[in-house]
Amino acid sequence: MEIDSVEKLKGLQITALDDEEEEEEEEKAQEIDIYDEEEEDEEEEQEPVILGFVEKPEHSWSLLRQQFPSKAGAVPAWLDPDNLPSGRSCVCDLCGEPLQFLLQVYAPLVEKESAFHRTVFVFMCLSMNCLLRDQHEQWKRQPEKSSRSVKVFRCQLPNVNHFYSSEPPKGNKTDKPLTSGAPLCNWCGTWKGDKFCSSCKSARYCSQKHQVMHWRAGHKPQCQQLSLSPQPPESNTYNDGTTGVNEMKGKILLLIKCLCFQTAVASKSLWPEYEMKNEHESEYETEMSEDDACANNSLVSRSGMDDSMKSLLDSFEGDGDRKSWASFQERIAKAPEQVLRYCRSPKARPLWPMSSGRPSQTNIPNCSYCGGPLCFEFQILPQLLYYFGVKNDVGSLDWATIVVYTCEASCDGVGYKEEFSWVQLSSPSPNLP
Amino acid sequence: MAERGGERGAFRRGFGGGGGRSDRGRGRRRGRKEEEEKWVPVTKLGRLVKAGKITSLEQIYLHSLPIKEHQIVDLLVGPSLKDEVMKITPVQKQTRAGQRTRFKAFVVVGDGNGHVGLGVKCSKEVATAIRGAIILAKLSIIPVRRGYWGNKIGKPHTVPCKVTGKCGSVTVRMVPAPRGAGIVAARVPKKVLQFAGIEDVFTSSRGSTKTLGNFVKATFDCLLKTYGFLTPDFWRETRFSKSPFQEYWDLLGKPTKALLLDDVENANA
Repeated sequence: MEIDSVEKLKGLQITALDDEEEEEEEEKAQEIDIYDEEEEDEEEEQEPVILGFVEKPEHSWSLLRQQFPSKAGAVPAWLDPDNLPSGRSCVCDLCGEPLQFLLQVYAPLVEKESAFHRTVFVFMCLSMNCLLRDQHEQWKRQPEKSSRSVKVFRCQLPNVNHFYSSEPPKGNKTDKPLTSGAPLCNWCGTWKGDKFCSSCKSARYCSQKHQVMHWRAGHKPQCQQLSLSPQPPESNTYNDGTTGVNEMKGKILLLIKCLCFQTAVASKSLWPEYEMKNEHESEYETEMSEDDACANNSLVSRSGMDDSMKSLLDSFEGDGDRKSWASFQERIAKAPEQVLRYCRSPKARPLWPMSSGRPSQTNIPNCSYCGGPLCFEFQILPQLLYYFGVKNDVGSLDWATIVVYTCEASCDGVGYKEEFSWVQLSSPSPNLP
Repeated sequence: MAERGGERGAFRRGFGGGGGRSDRGRGRRRGRKEEEEKWVPVTKLGRLVKAGKITSLEQIYLHSLPIKEHQIVDLLVGPSLKDEVMKITPVQKQTRAGQRTRFKAFVVVGDGNGHVGLGVKCSKEVATAIRGAIILAKLSIIPVRRGYWGNKIGKPHTVPCKVTGKCGSVTVRMVPAPRGAGIVAARVPKKVLQFAGIEDVFTSSRGSTKTLGNFVKATFDCLLKTYGFLTPDFWRETRFSKSPFQEYWDLLGKPTKALLLDDVENANA
């Protein structure tokens, strides 16, 4: 340590007590800041990040589950079509409404055989009130006792399984899964439809709420017609895109719109469907153009020392929140259309828009199935709201980022496992200089 | 790709494994113009502006909403926004291996019609600092109130009253001036006042005005106060309107008078 102090001594200069008058003499000398300026570049190791972009799907069949897609909006393409989440997992714990599908990410693990296919699904409640209350819930330490409105599920399958062939899909219309899967709700097309409409016995629903909504939205007139058919048709929506054999009559009776969709989804409030493509972030690194010409336009000469730069810094470079927002903006400015940032690594740190509302290591619980730690997998950015065309009313959805943590070991099991999500909302308080 | 499915795991190019080539032709675009056009708003206010629901900066000022994206200002104020680099200072930090020099840029933006912004950014390269400072300046844009010296003929041309702003040891005082007086000020605040759109003003400054940072910030602070000064035009009770973000709206008394901002603009014009 002595060597350091010697070098520090070399750097010191003797100046007069009255700094203002000595400024001219110091014009030629270099200026030295005594205080530590904040580091511009964050010193974290930059793990390679993969960005996700949304695009309109190329074909109507390119987002079916046998193609193993990554998609956003509309209905999920369930990986395991039989063991769907049910019961309490499907609904928002705060208001009781069934959750709406946000996006799914097909993220297989190369090194793990049982995770040859692996998809992470994110669902959330449409109501902003629930999201605000969810903020308190996510800070709670015991995930089993917390009531969340944002839920994440992970499902993985080995190469050889009951549902899909071991051969890769050809990428055309002829691909079909091995089984047809459990029937889905007629209204949302998302959750398992294990409840029947009591009168016609053909329409299936995941919950009473959806049955009521469908009833009001047009099932009432059709119900009588459906129940009049001699043989009650089998349920008309399967989650593989094909329709049952003996419901030609049902098909005619349903709205014409249904023929356009693969699954007859009656709800209008689902978000528009997009496919998600991924790119490495490094492809978007732009070169900085050295443009020193503007330096010549400066009003005052470059010399002279600014005394109270620190106070200026505070007001104009902002406090913690503004600084983290500024670095967030810088990072996403490379590819402004990104909606997802994927980096599955224990060392990876998500890009936080705000400095407030970040979880510490203790806030992130352990995996509720295997007890192992969770690691950051991906985060969802608010550009997605723009692509979804979410209305910007008072009570409409708005978030700064949703960060998803999944089991580091990606523990095995049948069906869907719940993972942990962290939502950061943008602070509502005004922050004028 | 299809043949290797067995060993590598997964069929499609999923997240985490692949993410390689850009088969959509993105990412190779150069030029700032294209990037600005494909601005995807991140905040709710940004989405509202992009959708065209908010047409002027005044609506944002009315509800004191924080502007977090500089493209909002670009869209609302548009091409009349000019910027100028006031100063670029090298600043240094002592490290074990010598000194680390960075450049600090002071930038003023303004449209010459009642809006100014000031931005300061420090960075390792000059161009980055200037760019960052321009963005910060756009984010910190404020409205400037102008008034008359005497007769209310024509457009407002000077500050409405005597105002003073302070930063560090520098205090800047602005006094209304008659038409034709011009901006009577030092070089540095003159630039800021020109950007603000003030045509005539007398100024007086005190303190160490050599420190450009403080001097410029003091004039900025002074301009900020022009709308903070209570004059008889503002005596009428405000009728509060609903902010685009306000969730819970409690009725505040008897709202019968016109909006505050409209009153002022009508009185001055």
